[in-house]
Amino acid sequence: MPERNVTPPKMPFSLTPRTILIVVIVIVVVLIGMSSFFVVDQTEEAVVLRFGKFNRIVEAGLHFKLPFNIEKNYNVPTQVIQNMTFGFRTEKPGVTTVYSNKDFPQESIMLTGDLNIVDVEWIIQYRISDAKAWLFNIENHSKTIRDISQSVINQLVGDRGILDVLGPERNAIEVQGQEMMNEIFNSYKFGIRVTTVKLQNVVPPKGPVQDAFEDVNKSIQDMNRLINEGKEAYNKEIPKARGEAEQMIQIAKGYATERVNKARGDVARFDSVLTEYRRAPNTTRTRLYYEMIEDIFKNEKNVELIDKNLKNFLPLKNLTEGQGGTR
Amino acid sequence: MKNTITVVVVSAIVLGILLLMGPFFIVEEGEQALVIRFGQIVQVETSAGLKFKMPLIDNVVVYSKKILPWDGEPQRVPTKENQFIWVDVTARWRIVDPKKFYSSITTMERAYSRLDDVIDSIVRTTIAGNFLREAVRSTNLINELKRTEYLASTEASQEDVENMRQMAEFTKTRVQQENIQKGRRALSEEMLQAAKQIVPDFGIDVIDIIIRQIRYSDDLTESVYNRMIKERNQIAQAYRSFGEGKKKEWLGKLENERRSILSRAYEESEKIKGEADALAARIYAEAYGRDPDFFEFWRSIESYRTVVPNFRKTLTTDMNYFKYLYSPGGR
Repeated sequence: MPERNVTPPKMPFSLTPRTILIVVIVIVVVLIGMSSFFVVDQTEEAVVLRFGKFNRIVEAGLHFKLPFNIEKNYNVPTQVIQNMTFGFRTEKPGVTTVYSNKDFPQESIMLTGDLNIVDVEWIIQYRISDAKAWLFNIENHSKTIRDISQSVINQLVGDRGILDVLGPERNAIEVQGQEMMNEIFNSYKFGIRVTTVKLQNVVPPKGPVQDAFEDVNKSIQDMNRLINEGKEAYNKEIPKARGEAEQMIQIAKGYATERVNKARGDVARFDSVLTEYRRAPNTTRTRLYYEMIEDIFKNEKNVELIDKNLKNFLPLKNLTEGQGGTR
Repeated sequence: MKNTITVVVVSAIVLGILLLMGPFFIVEEGEQALVIRFGQIVQVETSAGLKFKMPLIDNVVVYSKKILPWDGEPQRVPTKENQFIWVDVTARWRIVDPKKFYSSITTMERAYSRLDDVIDSIVRTTIAGNFLREAVRSTNLINELKRTEYLASTEASQEDVENMRQMAEFTKTRVQQENIQKGRRALSEEMLQAAKQIVPDFGIDVIDIIIRQIRYSDDLTESVYNRMIKERNQIAQAYRSFGEGKKKEWLGKLENERRSILSRAYEESEKIKGEADALAARIYAEAYGRDPDFFEFWRSIESYRTVVPNFRKTLTTDMNYFKYLYSPGGR
């Protein structure tokens, strides 16, 4: 391409003192301009010092200040809710936040009021409420916040038993923690307000202790299982027994009805026969007698008949007959 | 003309820079400064603003006016009951008298090391003079909290509630904790007062000394863990054994009810049968009583009818039945 072969262009003008002066003036003007304006973001407030002395606070926008460090601005993110975690660290916040695998026992291990050990993780959120106080009253902000927050949570946990901390007192610790932190920060004139204290993982120390705590939960399950087993056996047997009882009663009732009906039937028959009998007692008696004999013997074969008056007749009978036979 | 402008501008700039560097210095908000001339403090500036000094001769030493954190190493300290614990203490302090601070301490490093000495020894003395519970707890709240073993059941039926109540009786392991005399806050205050006796000599004020963390020493931790485990095991055992007991209770109840149901049924069925028998007897007696003689006869032949067919039979002609067998005229 032709451009590549073009020789460097000649300087359009020579370096005269006048040029230098103009350049210097331009540079100075630019410098002044640059150090005279500053931008404050929507999330921030800026504190402006004049000769180091507090002068004013300005809101978001483009602002003018005196150049050459005569006025100095400090931007403070007063609108931003800031987060601090204790006992764990967020590695990469996102849709699925990644937490650091590292533990921070020097923050999270505490003694409870009943002198047990518990592992408490928590977060606090705070907002800078007074930019001036924030800038000029406290050195090393985050360390101070961490120290106070840790101390407060330690104290609150130290006032309660381990089971209270693990369960019912969580909320009270959060509420009181927030109050106490704010109280202490206010006493320093820190210029921040803690908006949230939230306990995260509150667990017994990892390892066998935690297992022992979990075993209690398991034992509750076991207890319920055992109770249910008892109930199951009960429910299996008792309805059946009730049925059996009902069966016995029904059978008895059947028996009763049968017995009475039979009695009534028998009696009815007897009554009828008696009526007839009374009309002709002898005849009826004889008739009944002969009917009975007939009924018994009419189908019988091989019935022996012996004349009582026969002498020396001894019937030979097989006495074992009909008793299951002989061997 | 143009040269004049150049000279004016350049000299103005130089003058400005000189003015800024020379007789003026700035004390910012949150700072305080001493002006030192030949080793002597000639000026103390505690408010912010533009201040004067002699150029080239005077030295300016700037100190912070803010609240400063102090954080010591955790210390292994025995308590009054001779248990070794790690105590981690932090404090906040500020320089209140820069003149005194300069003459007695001068640098921040030395200030920190002095604070280390003072506070560490105060912490040792205070912790060693008190029981562990005084350092751990601040109030006697622990004895006021209602404590029950937490049962993770939300759908509590009447029976569950009763079980839980019984269990609560059972697992009431929480003994009353010893009441504290002072508590952590009071100890902090004690330490602060002790420190305040010493530090004013350095031009320093200590604002607070707080216990950040207390931990058992490692060997103690192990035995505390064991105690916690045993305590939990004991509770778990109570639950299991309670469950066993309840199961046995149900099995007993089962046996009891089964027997009583069946025996009651037996009783009732026998009663029913007996009543029926009685009724039947009455019916029979009433009817048969009308003619006992005939009844006897009737019942006999009925009975013969049913029973006699089962016998092996050999008859004699002696029977009334055979009355006419030998003679038409009868016997």
